Amino acid sequence: MLLSPFVGLLVLLCLKNEQKFLIRAVSVVASGISLALSIFTFVAYDKGLGGLQFVEKYEWVQTFGITYFVGVEGLNAPMLLLTGIVIFTGCLTMWELEDRTKEYFIWMMALVTGVFGVFMSYDMFFFFLFYEIAVVPMYILILVWGSTRKEYAAMKLTLYLMAGSGLIIPGILLLYASSGLNTFNMLLLHGANFSPWVQKVAFILLFFGFGVLAAVWPLHTWSPVGHVAAPTAVSMLHAGVLMKLGSFAILRVGMYLLPEGFQYWANLMMILATAGIVYGVFVGLAQTDLKYVIGYSSVSHMGIVCLGLATGTIDGLNGAVFQMFAHGIMTALFFSSVGYIYDRTHTRDIHELGGFSKIMPVASAFFITAALCGAGVPGMASFWAELLVFVAAVQVFPVAGLLAIAALVLGALFALRVVQSTFFNEPNPKFVHFEDVSPFLGIPRMILIGTLLFFGFFPQIMVSMIKSSVVPFLQGM
Amino acid sequence: MDIMLFGPELFYLGMALVFFCLTLRRQVQVRLDYQIALALSAVGVLVTGLCLFQQGDLFFKAYRVDLFSQIFKFALALGLFLVLTISHNLAAIEERYQAEFYFFLTTTTIGMMMLVSSVELLTIYVALELSSYSLYILVPLRRGDGIDVEAGIKYLFIGAVSSGFMLFGLSYIFGATGSTYLVDILPKMNQLVNSPIGIIGLLLALAGFFFKLSVFPFHFWAPDVYQGGANQVVTFIATASKAAAVALLLRLAVLGHASGYNFTIALVILSVVSMTLGNLVAIVQKDFKRMLAYSSIAHAGVFLMGVLTITEAGYIGVIYYALAYLVMNFTVFMVLSEVAADGRDLQISELAGLYRRSPLLSMSLILGIFALAGVPPSIGFTGKLLIFTSAMNAGYFWLVVIGAVNGTICLYYYLKVLYAAYFIDDPGLPVITLSLPMRLLNYALAAIIIGFGFCPDRIVELAKAAAKAVL
Repeated sequence: MLLSPFVGLLVLLCLKNEQKFLIRAVSVVASGISLALSIFTFVAYDKGLGGLQFVEKYEWVQTFGITYFVGVEGLNAPMLLLTGIVIFTGCLTMWELEDRTKEYFIWMMALVTGVFGVFMSYDMFFFFLFYEIAVVPMYILILVWGSTRKEYAAMKLTLYLMAGSGLIIPGILLLYASSGLNTFNMLLLHGANFSPWVQKVAFILLFFGFGVLAAVWPLHTWSPVGHVAAPTAVSMLHAGVLMKLGSFAILRVGMYLLPEGFQYWANLMMILATAGIVYGVFVGLAQTDLKYVIGYSSVSHMGIVCLGLATGTIDGLNGAVFQMFAHGIMTALFFSSVGYIYDRTHTRDIHELGGFSKIMPVASAFFITAALCGAGVPGMASFWAELLVFVAAVQVFPVAGLLAIAALVLGALFALRVVQSTFFNEPNPKFVHFEDVSPFLGIPRMILIGTLLFFGFFPQIMVSMIKSSVVPFLQGM
Repeated sequence: MDIMLFGPELFYLGMALVFFCLTLRRQVQVRLDYQIALALSAVGVLVTGLCLFQQGDLFFKAYRVDLFSQIFKFALALGLFLVLTISHNLAAIEERYQAEFYFFLTTTTIGMMMLVSSVELLTIYVALELSSYSLYILVPLRRGDGIDVEAGIKYLFIGAVSSGFMLFGLSYIFGATGSTYLVDILPKMNQLVNSPIGIIGLLLALAGFFFKLSVFPFHFWAPDVYQGGANQVVTFIATASKAAAVALLLRLAVLGHASGYNFTIALVILSVVSMTLGNLVAIVQKDFKRMLAYSSIAHAGVFLMGVLTITEAGYIGVIYYALAYLVMNFTVFMVLSEVAADGRDLQISELAGLYRRSPLLSMSLILGIFALAGVPPSIGFTGKLLIFTSAMNAGYFWLVVIGAVNGTICLYYYLKVLYAAYFIDDPGLPVITLSLPMRLLNYALAAIIIGFGFCPDRIVELAKAAAKAVL
């Protein structure tokens, strides 16, 4: 699975810039293969058996105890599926790209290789290596193919994320050094008894380091700006998948290796998460640019993930991972439909678009579906995820939980108003002549909607998958 | 057998003689000189490669040949060869001096090769001066408006002052221990190193190499020399000469092994100041070479971080990073000297449109810059991580935090270079065409930067064996 985008990347390197069709075809095939593989692992994973499956392990640098160690378990299988879906649809979405096509797809493939790598790695060295590989191409992707204030956004995003890495490196190395085991293997490090001081310091370093990418409030400021500036598929990947890297890493490295540190800082996590939820909802709905609306809603949805993690209960973690998945698909859908609209009209201003559903009913339908999902309407995947998180949160942190629910309900109300003023007012005569989404370009959006509905109606498939790992995970803590 | 031990040095001595004869000619034959130089240095790489696993002592044990020294000799030979590959167009140096250019490059290489093998204080000093004097001449060799002379004089003065410091320090060590052999000094240092004479002697003795590595407070020459010297000369100073300095720092720092707190805290301070100062000042630079000079000051701090651990892991990291630094810094300088084909100083803004002018060079630039910034998967990242790991293992938590923060700061100015090359277009400039060997060189460098960054195991094992030889 790791290999297919990488091979795609190599093939792309060999192609000429003029062979646009071939370039696109290769990237779609490469991402298609990774999607197929991720579906395969998701289905073939034996939930009854649990634990790590599909393991690959090679000694890499013995002197420093680095091993190449990848595997799949219930926690990362949904993430892999998510990545597979989003990259495949992302490649299809960018089919129309004309400018520097080859480089675009090369960087996309590099990014995706990194993302898959992070989700699968059980060695901290490779975890961090892939993490950086996933983060760095963003700078170039935004700078070359972005829009609105792209230079500012790209630099801000990169520096924020690199500052995060600046916290992660000491955190990881502190774990490595203080364990005395001379290994980067996470399963072995899990057994090491870290002193309370190490637990606290390392956890907070890792939490804030990875938290930057997960857009934990108040480290989120790069995220709406970055989403707005990025080209469509990059926004999809970034909000849909990359931000999940951050929360996934908090779960995998922070909570897994440092349970005491987590206990110590759980309240802080809860407060920041709740602040993020409330803040994201209110700031987002004051925006007039559709992408900013989505960007801030991402902040609040990532807050929900974080809140779920902070509870440290089975339901909470279940919900958090489920929410990562659901939000990933949902945001991808959001950005994909906004991207389509923007490519045609060159505006994302809510007032200017007014009444858009009469001009592009299908494109609007995609957006509205995503908005409903964001509001947590039953029948959508995110409904179950949010339900799980809130159930857990109300038990563990009653005040924060209720506050978050209230914010979300209000948010849903406002979201409907946004939908109303964007899509159901009088249509703007400037845009009347535009055509609606063609069936071919509709495919990726349909896949996303299909996924949302599928897991909305059959949440048990996902929940049992996650649960098979969460239960041993919590026992291990 | 002894011939093989001294093989690389003898070979380069022969090469120097050839060029000495060539300097005596009346007619200048630039192409021929270049071809001879390139061919000989390529053979030199082979020779040093063959001598990689030699072991033994020479000259009354003042000169040790072990894996450690041979690895660095190989790096030096490689550095010379690489610098010569980009010397096909020596626009900045007058034609009648070009044979001298090759001659002095060869002698400075010999000096550095002897330096990395020396295990006796006086030998170290003589070898250091041999390599330095050649460079003092090379820097002002540039055809220019006086800026080269200013650079040359600055280089000479600061070099002379640091040599003075170094001799002073060496005399302390000799006075206190009664020997100039490192082998004899080492056991006696254990008692000495916590007394003022031991610490001052050792730190001052290191000054000569702090100068070469441009560690704070011996860094003042770097920006001016980088800017004032011819691009090819600066490339050599920035790559091979750094590797030699690192090698000697590693050898001498062992003397401070038993000191515990005092000696290392001095190095910690130097490391932190070098890193931070270099990175902060680099941000405001407009001239590409000046920026690289400040980045080299910052990198000197990273090297020190590994050196001061005086552990095997730290030494492995430093050896790995020294080799990596040679390759990645060369990659950036290669792009620089290809873009500035007429030998001028390149402003960062002049990189504009490089993406269109030569996609291959811009790819090399991106890889080299990312490697310098420590972005994976590159040798720069792996090397930095190994050094950070060893420092953390040795208990320098805050040093690693500061190093990591610096890693973020440096990204800003490195990204500005990429920004200029990729996103500002200057339609007036012509396309840069590269010859086939240059294209191959680009691909080879890219393969090394990525390949050994991702699979560092072989190099790490080699570095481990080398580190054992010194510790």
